[in-house]
Amino acid sequence: MSIKDRLPVKGFIETSFIDWKGYLSSVLFTGGCNFRCPYCHNPDLVLNPDTLEDVPHGYIFSTLRKYKVWVERVVITGGEPTIHKNLKNFIKRLKKEGFLIKLDTNGSNPYVLKDLVEDKLIDYVAMDVKGPIDRYSRWCGVEIDTERIRESINFLLEGHVDYEFRMTVVPFLHQEEDVYDVAQDIKNAERFNIQDFKSIKNILDNTYSSVKPFPEEMMKRIRRKATEIVKGNTDPALKIEGE
Amino acid sequence: METTDLNLFVRTSEETISDWNREKIVDALIRETFIDLDTATEISKEVEGMIRKSGVKVVTAPLIRELVNAKLIEKGLEDARRKHTRLGMPIYDVDSLILHPNKENANVPHGPEATNLTLAERIKKEYALLSVFSLDVADAHMNGDIHLHDLGFVDRPYCSGQSLEYIKKFGLNLPHSLSMAKPAKHPEVLLAHLIKFAAALQSNFAGAIGWDAVNIFFAPYLEGMSDEEVKQLAQMLVFEFSQQAVARGGQAIFSDINLYWEVPKHFVDTPAIGPSGKFTGKTYGDYEKEAQRFVWKLFEVYKEGDGSGRPFFFPKPLVHITEKFFKTEGNMDFLYHICDVAADKGNTYFVFDRGETAKISECCRLSFKLEEKDLLDAKQPWRMRYCALQNVSINLPRIAYAAKKDDTKLFNLLGERFLLAVKAHKQKRAFLEKLLSLGENGPLSLLTMNRDGMPYLRFNRASHLIGMVGLNEMVQVHTGEELHESKRALKFGLKIIAHMKLLTEKMEKQEGIKVVLEQTPAESTSYRFAKLDLHHFSPLSARVIKGDISTGEVYYTNSTHLNIKSHINPIERVTNEGIFHPLIEAGSISHIWLGESHPTKEAIADFVLKTFKYTTNDQIAFSPEFTICNRCGKTFRGLHEFCPSPTCHSYDVDGITRITGYFTKISGWNKGKLGELKDRYRNGEYFSKKMLVANE
Repeated sequence: MSIKDRLPVKGFIETSFIDWKGYLSSVLFTGGCNFRCPYCHNPDLVLNPDTLEDVPHGYIFSTLRKYKVWVERVVITGGEPTIHKNLKNFIKRLKKEGFLIKLDTNGSNPYVLKDLVEDKLIDYVAMDVKGPIDRYSRWCGVEIDTERIRESINFLLEGHVDYEFRMTVVPFLHQEEDVYDVAQDIKNAERFNIQDFKSIKNILDNTYSSVKPFPEEMMKRIRRKATEIVKGNTDPALKIEGE
Repeated sequence: METTDLNLFVRTSEETISDWNREKIVDALIRETFIDLDTATEISKEVEGMIRKSGVKVVTAPLIRELVNAKLIEKGLEDARRKHTRLGMPIYDVDSLILHPNKENANVPHGPEATNLTLAERIKKEYALLSVFSLDVADAHMNGDIHLHDLGFVDRPYCSGQSLEYIKKFGLNLPHSLSMAKPAKHPEVLLAHLIKFAAALQSNFAGAIGWDAVNIFFAPYLEGMSDEEVKQLAQMLVFEFSQQAVARGGQAIFSDINLYWEVPKHFVDTPAIGPSGKFTGKTYGDYEKEAQRFVWKLFEVYKEGDGSGRPFFFPKPLVHITEKFFKTEGNMDFLYHICDVAADKGNTYFVFDRGETAKISECCRLSFKLEEKDLLDAKQPWRMRYCALQNVSINLPRIAYAAKKDDTKLFNLLGERFLLAVKAHKQKRAFLEKLLSLGENGPLSLLTMNRDGMPYLRFNRASHLIGMVGLNEMVQVHTGEELHESKRALKFGLKIIAHMKLLTEKMEKQEGIKVVLEQTPAESTSYRFAKLDLHHFSPLSARVIKGDISTGEVYYTNSTHLNIKSHINPIERVTNEGIFHPLIEAGSISHIWLGESHPTKEAIADFVLKTFKYTTNDQIAFSPEFTICNRCGKTFRGLHEFCPSPTCHSYDVDGITRITGYFTKISGWNKGKLGELKDRYRNGEYFSKKMLVANE
């Protein structure tokens, strides 16, 4: 395999407490992404992956082995891992060594996702849903065939693999109702994880670096209602209490 | 000239103004020093002459004393001058002390009580250095070769571990107190006794007061109580301890409570004491469920935090995990419960008692390993009272500056400093022995009270602590690498600590006193050593001292810890710091700084279990940081410059995090600690999704 064919891993966290809920995990960041979400927290990874040094695979594997009694789970995130052809081979190598794999994806490559799951190479999928599907380019910054997003969602909903949907709620970009629309789109999902936006210095669209997250009380309400919708319990349009 | 001729008045220390009387100088010299009458008379006349010539009409007693001292120096009577020293403070210092907060100890609030404490400490510190310790020991302390901890409390032992059983059995019957209370019948009363006794003990010890197996010893009182009532009791316990800011010097009682999920092996067959101090006929093994109920509720209280959701500072909950924990029903649920508190509030300390060792922990890190004779005590747990008389820390980097990379010299110097520390211990021990020999009429009457055939303080069992500051910088100077930078450096560090451990054993045989190593909490010591070394050992010291030299916020890395700033994987940290722990008998800890990230309880539990299984680490704690807004009263995760609430944005905020071993407000920290806080590597990349990339 030539160097070019290698999965470009640009970042490596040996021990994370938060990237795989409930467990210690190692995290690999692949370079490059097919989305341009304006609120992206890893712009260098998305825009200029070639300026970042590759983490040598040899180092990754030897380190993973070294800590294996502590950490037997590996999270592959990006960027967008599914845009790389050699993702599958890389994951196969990990599986062979007995690691459990979580894939973070934006769902834009349903065939890659299906293929990995069908070959039992993935143990957990976290799919980012950026916003209501009907206006997707607004959220992800590029024109995209939204059918592919839908296909990924539906595939996960069928339950071939353990999964969660995630959405980051960004003030000025999203309205409260957008979250409920997403909840409708993923109705009956096992888990819907709604994340606060965090303002940091280095954001893809710098106008977002000064944006403050929605107040805590509002986020609580959003979480509660969205969960109800996913469960299919309530129609939000009918029931807006005095909260 | 006759003394009465002088038309001069003296303002005395007894708040009187009296006529000049030269004889008083003579009396004082004869009483306080060993000089002869003729010399004393001569000096008094010379001093009188000086004052007369100056033409002043009123002099103060302290001024006369200093003039006498000047004469003693002129005559080369240095020893007499030392004995004739007046202890006190310049008016400028007292003024600023009364007006400004104390930064030496973040646990001291600012107020009249605190000022009293500081003033007393200053005088006792001077007294200790002149009168309790020999000149060589005092000098070594002054110049920073070693540090004698809590000199302001020289007339008390250092810290202690207590058993609730003592007050359960004997009630609250303290010497010289106005009333005597019989053993408690009700849990609330037992709680009140506990708090009062802790407060009484605080005024007899310099440092922490720890309580062993609190949930287990409370258990016999909890039978028949509803869950709500147990929760109420747990709340009272935590609030009572954390709000005791009216005790000594306005300080909260530095208190630890040791807790268990399982009933540890050494207490299973111990006859249980219940209401009215009577044996219940059962053993503590029979009270497992009640003990578990209480500890569960205690952690519910910690999880909720105080009235505005802030973490409690005291009492520190130390959860012991013994081998039996893994075989005890409900262990994982409990582990998740306390890990939830660790992730959210940071209170939980995880203490690992592997194999057959039993321990109780005190103070920032100090713990007592229970030996065979103690395990016999475990059948009568009221006898389990432990203490350390003093703590002396050795400035390790300074030894490396002097050794100039020569191993023999390095170990030789280490041995010299160690002997000096032991000498200091013997001197303090002799001094305390003198105080204790005065019995129930002496200053330490509480510690001499005898309710069970022996004095409360078991002097012959007391230990003497030797701590270390800056092993990391010592190794850095000597080998060119910090502990985390190579296996070689780490090994060399281990060699140093192993050598110190060997010296403790030698000392024990040679001197017949128990000397043990401790990880010095070094709240102000690591700052003090760094500051002194920066002054005396530059440029060598400037290359290794941590923090920001330009602002004076400097420090040495605490004890045997790894560099706090470097990006060390938490697994590496607990593993590599843990290799020192078996050598440091009096207790060790590894801190994992969380910053503002909020890991899941399951991930923390996973980490805790693996730390138990795969390392020799003795104790770990996870430390988040908080910001409290003084205007809107809300608490936020992480350290913020202003209130993050969108409706508030007040700049009147306090940051809260763990300082060496306990939580406190950051505004009360000394400069060295502030430097460390800035440097503290918060495991950001291990806890947050934002990636740190190479070219950032």
